[in-house]
Amino acid sequence: MIARSQRERLLDAAIDVVAEKGYAKTTIADLTKEAGISRTTFYEMFPDKEACFLAAYDVAADVLARRVASAFEAAEGEWPARVRAGLEELLGSLAAEPAVARLALVDFGAAGPAAQRRYRAALQRMTPLFDEGRDFAPEGRRLPANTSRMAIGAVVGLIAEEIEAGRATSLAKILPAVLVATLSPYLGPEAAAEEAGRG
Amino acid sequence: MPPARSRSVNGKASPSRPQDIDQLIEQEQLPSGRDDLAEPPVAHSQRERLLVAVAETTAEKGYGATTIGDVCTAAGVSRATFYELFKDKEDCFHAAMELSLADAMGSIVAVYSPDKPWATMVRDAAAAFLELLASRPTFARMAMVEAPASGERAFQLYASGKRVLQSLLERGREDPVEEEAIPTSAARAALAAAESLIVGQILTGNTARLPELLPDIVYITTLPYLGQEEALRQAREAEREHPAADR
Repeated sequence: MIARSQRERLLDAAIDVVAEKGYAKTTIADLTKEAGISRTTFYEMFPDKEACFLAAYDVAADVLARRVASAFEAAEGEWPARVRAGLEELLGSLAAEPAVARLALVDFGAAGPAAQRRYRAALQRMTPLFDEGRDFAPEGRRLPANTSRMAIGAVVGLIAEEIEAGRATSLAKILPAVLVATLSPYLGPEAAAEEAGRG
Repeated sequence: MPPARSRSVNGKASPSRPQDIDQLIEQEQLPSGRDDLAEPPVAHSQRERLLVAVAETTAEKGYGATTIGDVCTAAGVSRATFYELFKDKEDCFHAAMELSLADAMGSIVAVYSPDKPWATMVRDAAAAFLELLASRPTFARMAMVEAPASGERAFQLYASGKRVLQSLLERGREDPVEEEAIPTSAARAALAAAESLIVGQILTGNTARLPELLPDIVYITTLPYLGQEEALRQAREAEREHPAADR
């Protein structure tokens, strides 16, 4: 029980410290200090800084993905309405923790190739939510194979640009743009604009 | 179903362009891909070896973990020579990034013509870009994966390359269509979508097969401007013009 809570504290510390100092400048001493654990305890759990950061990244991505998925599942209505709910949750969660948002969507790459793969895997997990949109394409139109990957890329790209521009806390404002970017590849731009204008 | 947009996709391009592509590139202060490296021959080749080496090493280890020692070893160049040519790791990486970007812009300039219909221009530029990345997997990885995450200067170079592409895409607005239906974020969203697909393909080790993504990329980049039906038609045409068997 105690070991578990130490691990949790350490993973929280990893996100906070890396978000503040940047990955390259973060030391294991920073992490143990922030988490209030000993160096020995750190090395019992992780072989190095990278392993600790990657575990923390996984947890943060997992929490975010679950929040988005449950907002999506809980929403009333058809796919476009549920997508709106999921995206609202995504933007809201990121805006509430701008430092984490920056780390998760912009600065992750600084931690090297393994972190890059973690980020891609996290994006991949959103694919099923997007794939449902295929059923909403106007009849007889066969969408390209990578439609969902591209829609996800557009969403995170638009969000990352806001974060880079220092507007993480006002992410909620870009909901219409993000919604149109998500819906257009499936419904077409006109129907997507109509949907986005609703609500 | 919304009515299909009528648009002069196959018609002639509008006669007056506000800027041509060279001006766009110049405006972003990017190397145009047309300048030769102006160094003495030996320094030139050592410099080139270092640029290739920095691309290879960062592609393999990531920018953060790459050291000047790694780059010198891979290039077969002494540390002293490295410091004669570059200030530090970032300087060397930045030079390699400039070279890659010059190539990328060069590949697009080569197929660009103001007389081509916009949709054809988008398709040809995307095809040329994907072919270039596929033919240089190391530089592709450096430019598309490492550069955006490797510090301010390289990030700015990458961002200005993207702005050139955005301006080219935004010309899709020039012909009179129902403009109000095109959101201001259209080009940024479309490029982010294409970028994400390309980076994913590079990270899974499928760089050589990037040209197969052409129909997808043509679809997503023309969609906001042409509407869904026409964008799907453009994607099918891309498939025909650049069949997978040829790749």
